[in-house]
Amino acid sequence: MFGYIRPARGELRVKEFELYKSCYCGLCRTLGKLYGPAARMVLQYDFTFLAMLLWEGGKKPVLCAKRCMASPCKKHCEASGDDSMAAAAGYSVILAWWKICDTIHDEGFFRSVFARGAKLWIRRAYRKAAKQYPEFDARVRESMNELFHLEKVGENRLDRMADAFAKILAYCAESRSGDEKRILEQLLYHVGRWIYIVDAVDDLEKDRKNGQYNPVDRRFALNGKSLSEEDKAYLEITLAHSQNLAAAAFELLKENCWSEILRNILYLGMTQVSGQVLSGTFRHERDGLPR
Amino acid sequence: MNDPYVVLGASPSDSDEEIKKKYRDLVKKYHPDNYNNNPLADLAQEKMKEINEAYDAIQKMRERGSSDNSGYSGSSSYKSRGSAEFAGVRSAINSGDLAYAERILESSANRNAEWNFLMGSLCYRKGWLDEAQRYFRRAVNMEPSNMEYRQAYARMQNADSTYRPAGYQHHGIDLCDICTMMICADACCRC
Repeated sequence: MFGYIRPARGELRVKEFELYKSCYCGLCRTLGKLYGPAARMVLQYDFTFLAMLLWEGGKKPVLCAKRCMASPCKKHCEASGDDSMAAAAGYSVILAWWKICDTIHDEGFFRSVFARGAKLWIRRAYRKAAKQYPEFDARVRESMNELFHLEKVGENRLDRMADAFAKILAYCAESRSGDEKRILEQLLYHVGRWIYIVDAVDDLEKDRKNGQYNPVDRRFALNGKSLSEEDKAYLEITLAHSQNLAAAAFELLKENCWSEILRNILYLGMTQVSGQVLSGTFRHERDGLPR
Repeated sequence: MNDPYVVLGASPSDSDEEIKKKYRDLVKKYHPDNYNNNPLADLAQEKMKEINEAYDAIQKMRERGSSDNSGYSGSSSYKSRGSAEFAGVRSAINSGDLAYAERILESSANRNAEWNFLMGSLCYRKGWLDEAQRYFRRAVNMEPSNMEYRQAYARMQNADSTYRPAGYQHHGIDLCDICTMMICADACCRC
């Protein structure tokens, strides 16, 4: 469900790409520092986006070169200096936990060996994060239950499903207030809706093979067939629509030091990813982003 | 009030032309059309007001008559054009009281074109774009001559993409062109 919110590498300036990498590494460092080395496993592009988005207005990131486990020889630039990093780290641990629980549930006892291992691996990190953000944890649990229930009754409204997931992301703006909160909620809601639908399209093949519920399959009543070109065009428009509404909300926010990269993600990165997912090439592309 | 130059992202050394260009770019960005029936429309409107005031202030500072450009003004809330039955629903959607609007619509037995249109508007406000598109399409099918419904449906089909900052354009056909083409085609078809 994660990893779709990323910049279009080819359109980033060198300076911006270095900054993006520093934020990615900074988030990884924050995860390790706050939740132990095991938590670094949950590092995702999506939460790098969240950390940049929640970054407070005028603050500049503190950059310093450090070594880490992933690159012990060469030093990498790491950004720090705002609470948004800690919040993004906490949210990502909680979401990763519930995502793993969901996978275990879907896959059954034997096929979920890896997922059960991962669950054990991040349990301590999850407990700590859940204690720090109990309301967010409760909200994710609620939404996951809702999704589970809707899957069981075979809900065929794509929006109804996406809504449950999008609300989780919208809740990431809980620490803000006033107009800024409203803007962030709308922005994150549409990013969440976009992620949910893109993920559903991406999983179509896999879900069909495993005989699992897939919201896009239900919406277009595919019953095992592939998406027609017409359906794909329709999905592309509805995804672009969410993207446009997120971007329109973004333009109302105050600029911060990550704005150019965020614009790249919202206007270009998402378009690129949805195009790749719909054409089935997403898994094969190498985009040169940090790993 | 904030420094008008900061509001427009310009500097005092910029020429009148440059200021005008920046002003126009911002107007395009925050134009009410980009925030039609959007929960954040009020904020965009505020922004628009701020930009207009800043532009006027700069014009005055530069001691030029502002007769040639008095700024853009526009209102984003759409006028109620429908029947009396759903007037309350329309104003509820406009003011953002979605729960009330939904309750009234769900309990209404009269599921005509306007009902579908309003359901579409409601879904749109919630961010349920797929559902919104389906309701708008139904409304257009039931009453093809209604411009309000058709506009709403057309906006869904071009995914509300009216603005993109410079440097973030897609390659290929501009969606504005498609829209213009559709309007032209539409004008030709009507007898």
